[in-house]
Amino acid sequence: MNIDVTDLSKRFGPTRALDGMTFGVRPGLVTGFVGPNGAGKSTTMRVILGLDAPDAGTALIGGRRYRDLRRPLRTLGSLLDAAAFHPGRSARNHLLWLAHSQGLGAARVDEVLALTGLTAVARKKAGGYSLGMRQRLGVAAALLGDPPTLLLDEPFNGMDPDGIIWMRGFLRSLAAEGRAVLVSSHLMGELQDTADHLVVVGRGRVLADTTMPALVAEHSSLERAYLSLTRGAVEFR
Amino acid sequence: MTDVVRAEWTKLRTSPATVWAVLAVAVGTAALSALAVTTVRCPCAGDPMTLTLVGVQLGQAVAAVFAAGVIGGEYATGMIGVTFAATPRRPAVLAAKALLVSGLVGGAGAVGVVAAWAAGHAALDTGFAARPVFGSVLYLVLVALLGLGAATLTRSSAAAIGLVLALLYVAPIVIGTVGDPDWKRHLRQWGPADAGLAIQASTGLDSLPIQPWAGLGVLGLWAGAALLAGAVSVSRRDT
Amino acid sequence: MIRAEWTKLRTVRGWVAALAGGLLLIVAFSVAPGAGGTCDETCRLPTGPEGQEVTDAFRFVHRTLTGDGSITARVTSFTGERDAGPGRSEPGLVPWAKAGLIVKDGVRPGSSYAAVMLTGAHGVRMQHDYVHDVAGPTGPRTPRWLRLSRDGDTITAAVSDDGNRWRTVGTATPDLPSTVEVGLFVTSPQHAEVSTKVFGLSGASGGPSTATATFDHVGFEGTTAAGWRTQQIGGPSATSAVAGTDGAEEPRPGPPQPASRSSARDGVFTLTGNGDVAPAVSGANGLGFSVTRTLAGTFVGLVPLVVVGAMLVTAEYRRGLLAVTLAATPRRGRVLAAKAVVIGGVAAVLGVAGAALAVPLGTAVMRGNGLYVNAAPTSTVVRMVLGTGLLLALCAVFALAVGTVVRRGAVALTAVLGLTVLPYLLAMSVLPARVGDWVLAVTPAAAFAAQQSAVEYSFVDNLYVPSAGYFPLPPIGGLAVLLAWTVVAFTAALVLLGRRDVR
Repeated sequence: MNIDVTDLSKRFGPTRALDGMTFGVRPGLVTGFVGPNGAGKSTTMRVILGLDAPDAGTALIGGRRYRDLRRPLRTLGSLLDAAAFHPGRSARNHLLWLAHSQGLGAARVDEVLALTGLTAVARKKAGGYSLGMRQRLGVAAALLGDPPTLLLDEPFNGMDPDGIIWMRGFLRSLAAEGRAVLVSSHLMGELQDTADHLVVVGRGRVLADTTMPALVAEHSSLERAYLSLTRGAVEFR
Repeated sequence: MTDVVRAEWTKLRTSPATVWAVLAVAVGTAALSALAVTTVRCPCAGDPMTLTLVGVQLGQAVAAVFAAGVIGGEYATGMIGVTFAATPRRPAVLAAKALLVSGLVGGAGAVGVVAAWAAGHAALDTGFAARPVFGSVLYLVLVALLGLGAATLTRSSAAAIGLVLALLYVAPIVIGTVGDPDWKRHLRQWGPADAGLAIQASTGLDSLPIQPWAGLGVLGLWAGAALLAGAVSVSRRDT
Repeated sequence: MIRAEWTKLRTVRGWVAALAGGLLLIVAFSVAPGAGGTCDETCRLPTGPEGQEVTDAFRFVHRTLTGDGSITARVTSFTGERDAGPGRSEPGLVPWAKAGLIVKDGVRPGSSYAAVMLTGAHGVRMQHDYVHDVAGPTGPRTPRWLRLSRDGDTITAAVSDDGNRWRTVGTATPDLPSTVEVGLFVTSPQHAEVSTKVFGLSGASGGPSTATATFDHVGFEGTTAAGWRTQQIGGPSATSAVAGTDGAEEPRPGPPQPASRSSARDGVFTLTGNGDVAPAVSGANGLGFSVTRTLAGTFVGLVPLVVVGAMLVTAEYRRGLLAVTLAATPRRGRVLAAKAVVIGGVAAVLGVAGAALAVPLGTAVMRGNGLYVNAAPTSTVVRMVLGTGLLLALCAVFALAVGTVVRRGAVALTAVLGLTVLPYLLAMSVLPARVGDWVLAVTPAAAFAAQQSAVEYSFVDNLYVPSAGYFPLPPIGGLAVLLAWTVVAFTAALVLLGRRDVR
């Protein structure tokens, strides 16, 4: 199943957050999504998830709008904000209500807890989790519906070296299972070892949409490629 | 819809605030009433039922706070994004919340109001009257829905509670100072608290600015309007 | 530190809007009471010699007295009739029904006087110039002999059981000209009774009343220019309530019989009167509105102030900003104190500014729309305005302290509004008057006493209940109650903030 983003535009007051954003995410690949702060990465992801409405353009998952999906987490799993839970609720209960919203049961919750290595702390208040554990909880939530497509915003943030290695292998195995995975990150080193395909954005539009080997061949490393592509697109808005 | 209701129920069930809120609605309502009825002796020339059910005036604040927090808390933590990603049909989320809040506040309110009535009956021998007693439970439910709607509109518990308590506590005081008797009467007919609490009257209905069920209907309109406005704004807005 | 907190406060746009809105609301709602009045130029209270508004209505049988002299009379009977529900009346004197002798500067309502009288339930009294009251010796109600004598500027009142042995009730030196009117008078104010058995706004029953007294052995010494004349001073019932008074109950029609009568036969005078010779009061027995009404917007303005006060610290907890604040200033007590100074200062300024605008604006609108507003001395208005500022400042700091203790904006907000506004609302509506008084003496709502403009007189029949604008505590006492609550909450906040981990 593909994620297809076509000609997205969105303004926040005078600022143009998205300006004809177009790219695709294909199954079986990890697609990296990079760009400077304010380039429109998060807004694009929020539009894909139906949280923000675009002024123009479409974002389709397997040909359908997210808002039209009946049990969306079974189609597209997502991690946007790792702190987006009630701090007084345990990880298990947080996943449980999400599972119920998709017609899933407690068994699936325990499965994803085991997959992300949270079983031991599942009944503790999520408010006491470290940033790395929060990221794992977010990934667990994204996997809940066993979706063919995944969308993860900065999943490496706050992870310790062990966690980063785990996350890297985990993303690769998800793609190997035939899922389409979109991952945004500022950590070029991590992406270079993880992503198969890369979408570089700046000022609300796509600057490059190519395979990782092609990009690295042209610029010698992802970091250099990123810096040369986004030169001139860096600004704080 | 069943999934959404089930998910929302899991959320409420696993939130520590829910138990406290439900307890507080029941205890607050019963306790204030029990205190109030000990202060007087009957035979009474006035309407003992309104004094017996005075605890509702405290319980309503707790009910509104609870209901506002049910959605306001999600906006505060950002969890609302997860909720709407899981259930893109946002009015369905609001409807599920409204349903569950009604059930919880209705249950807690019923316990509190019946306890309040029992205390009043024991102290003042008020006798039973279905309309004031059951109407007070409905009143609490409608106030909670007003709080839920207001919090959905304002996306903030604190702002919503400020708004709702201004309507429930401050408006009657201000209306009381209005000089023109006609205006005063009209405002009492349309103020959510003044109109809604008419349901508690058991005698002297002729002197009320609005009849009991009509008054509760006015509060229902307020709650319905708030929920409708909340539903419209939540579907239109980015989260 | 204070500057840092001030910067934090003024840079959150929503908070500034809320605070500005609070000020606007205080002023805007001052005009609410002004809608629709029925009073024109004629319904206006006379002003007494000491500046207060007074009621001056009584049945008067009088003649002139030039220079020194005296008047003596025996009251042989003193009975009354009072309202007992719509269209009915029952026999009985109201507590401050009056029958006796009076010396007065002419017959203009509001002029100087001195009088000695029997009262319905308070024995023999000497009163002069409306606001001075002295109790006389006890004895049988009737028959009693009364005497009023003038010696230069001094008026002496005396009472006797048998007409031989006289006891002085008191002396007074009202500002009287050399020629005055002296004579017999009878009057009876509105019947007002606080009942603990009756629920509701008034917790009271009341209505018009009349009193009838018979005088004989009327003796007069001195120089006079004319014989006895009978006259009604003031309206037949200047104290009977006019639509739109502060009392919640609509006024009831008076007893069916004519209010004032008098007859004289063989030196025996029988007078029936209705009214009062006393300072004017707001409320059930008064006429018009008190200035306090123009401050109704305080309750509305209080809400955004309490919201901001509570959020000032709970928002920092929520966003983890408190850790940043405490990293900048590790002494936590000072942080809280600085927040209190800032929000308290802002609230005080808003309250004073709002009230200073609301009182004159609201008064002007009420007067412009034909409502009678009881005059309040400038000192009272200044106290109300400053009191409003202090009230709002204390409430805001109270909210800040409660917010620090409970760490949840919504809970803090509800607790503070539930403790300040709810008791006031309940005392004004469902609670019996006695319970309402108690509630307004112990809860933070007591502080609204700072806005009371009506004056309570022990010798005027009235319902001195919260719903009529009379608080159980004096302004300072009421504010002290709120201060005590604030101090307790603030101390708890200091202790907890110091002890708890910041998370």
